[in-house]
Amino acid sequence: MKAVLAVLAAACSCGLVASGCAEGAKKAEAAPAKQSNLVCSNHTAWQRLADRIKAPVYCPGWLPDPLIGAIGNRWNNINSVSADRSYLESFVWQETGGGAAGGELHVNLRGYPGRTKIPTCRTGGAESIDVPCFADPHGTVSERGITATMYTVNQDADEWHLLLLWRRNGNLYTLSEHVAPPLTYNHVVRYLHQELRSLILVRPTSET
Amino acid sequence: MQRFTRKQVLAGAAAGAVGAAGIYELVDRLASSPPARPEVTVAMPEQHLLDGVRVVTSNDVEVLVPPLHHQVITARVTADRAALADAQQELTNTLAAIDADYVPSPAGLGVTVAWGLPYFRRLVPDAMRRYLPYDRRADRPVIFDAHRFPSDPTNTRLESNDVAILLRSDTHAHIDDAAKRLQDTKLFEVTSIRRGFAGGGFDGGQSLPKRLAVDAGVPGSELIPDTSELFLGFTSTQRAGMGPGKIANFETLGYVDFRGSDYFRNGTHMHLSHIQEDLESWYLNFDFDERVTTAFRPNLEVPQNTQTVAQGPKDVSTVVDVRRDYRSSQRIGHSASIQTTSRLQHAVVAADGTVYPKGAAIPVRADFNTLDNPFSFSVIADETSETPAAGVHFIVFNPTGDDFRRNRNAMDGVLPGGTIPFPPRDRNQGFNSVLQTTHRQNFLVPPRRNRSFPLANV
Repeated sequence: MKAVLAVLAAACSCGLVASGCAEGAKKAEAAPAKQSNLVCSNHTAWQRLADRIKAPVYCPGWLPDPLIGAIGNRWNNINSVSADRSYLESFVWQETGGGAAGGELHVNLRGYPGRTKIPTCRTGGAESIDVPCFADPHGTVSERGITATMYTVNQDADEWHLLLLWRRNGNLYTLSEHVAPPLTYNHVVRYLHQELRSLILVRPTSET
Repeated sequence: MQRFTRKQVLAGAAAGAVGAAGIYELVDRLASSPPARPEVTVAMPEQHLLDGVRVVTSNDVEVLVPPLHHQVITARVTADRAALADAQQELTNTLAAIDADYVPSPAGLGVTVAWGLPYFRRLVPDAMRRYLPYDRRADRPVIFDAHRFPSDPTNTRLESNDVAILLRSDTHAHIDDAAKRLQDTKLFEVTSIRRGFAGGGFDGGQSLPKRLAVDAGVPGSELIPDTSELFLGFTSTQRAGMGPGKIANFETLGYVDFRGSDYFRNGTHMHLSHIQEDLESWYLNFDFDERVTTAFRPNLEVPQNTQTVAQGPKDVSTVVDVRRDYRSSQRIGHSASIQTTSRLQHAVVAADGTVYPKGAAIPVRADFNTLDNPFSFSVIADETSETPAAGVHFIVFNPTGDDFRRNRNAMDGVLPGGTIPFPPRDRNQGFNSVLQTTHRQNFLVPPRRNRSFPLANV
């Protein structure tokens, strides 16, 4: 997975960003747009995901500019479903360069159908051990009927991320965002609230 | 995916934050009222000991409440050999005047004047050869030039200051006043100023490290526990973890041969270093259990979010314990590894009749957190920055320089009887992966009676 991330992240580097480095950085600092009518971008792809895993998925109606939560778009660097039907949708914007010229926005959405227990991850390296994929709970966040617990120490693609975790009808879901420039910890918390508020539940066709 | 290191891009994170110098101006405004302190009236023969230190109970553990504010001034002596006697008298008078205005306690002002080898070598070389105490265990003088340890970066600077003056108080104005008086003497050419803070949360309010780091916009600061004594989230001044009484004096444990003179009796050795702390990595990559393992020892179970962990004699790890934990977990904890050399292996009766029990801590620590990056002021251009950074000015008093060396080596897995091999700054080796030492120097702390230009009068 990390190799995939590396390749796809490289494609998002400065030279390929249509809006240009300076403009991109400025956009990343911009405040979240005010929520109005939520729209799931590329709803068809999210519907296809829900049908594939046979469980509801959450489509982000808002992600920080320039990210757009459409599966298959230029920012969607991971679109992955595992054998256990768990999924990871990752959206990343990255620009290289020091100081204010560089930065990254990275949002992950995960779902674990049929399980509510926090999964186990390997730490990697020579002395790899099993650890919870999401650890160190820091209170709860509530938006639009979802009450999520915030975890601050997370693994794999969620490493260095703040992560919201909640359960719905026997399924486990997470939403996380990378704490990295140009965002501070407080920026990320604010964005996570906005992102959680924007989630649109997409049910599998068999349930509708 | 390549991650940006947190050090790489601070422009965004620090935007809107106050620079290091500005942060310190906020200290007195942010600090709550100085904590109540016991009365103190007598200055001890030792410079390095503070009287009137309050003891509180945290998680059923006795904790010494450190002074809130700290400053270290390093300097080069301006006088030459011919002028040394006059300089000695002037500093004696200045220090006496400061003592007259402030009791030697956290409520007043603690002043510790420590001298580096460059001073002794340049200005009193003959007397140094005759009077410098000798470490029997190490078969060398009690003070020697600092060196890098296995986990130190190759660019850790080994300093050569003549003198370091440590000022400690609950009231910042006391420190400012003393610093001004000392600088007004013109006896010193200041080479650096290092400022910092500790505690402030033992009575339930937000501690200084938490408040100042958040105000400075230091990455990771939001996750520091509100009342934490230090940035890393754990109390470090457990009474049982600090050397009691005069244990760190040259004469107490019998390590030192004074070579027929009492000139340095009641003195000690001081190590001064600056260490950067990567708070974001500490709080975003280490969950609470791993932070406990890292700070203390593997397989130690404490309730989630505990800040004060018992460090009494029954909690002390031996070499056997550390090796056993390493075999089961491939890790060593910071406290446990150091305890193999920093605790008494058997009870000692000192010359004054005081009994120091087995397991007693030997070092007397006086470390404090800082937002200096790495210093508030320095004559060296790249040793100051407007961007605050989390760190610690580490100060510890040991009976000899070699005693400190043994403890610091143990932190790197160099234990009595053999080394546990780790790559430098390995994540499994205590705190080392989130720490980076930038500067080191050893000093000799004379007794109070000879604190002014020691050996200039012999």
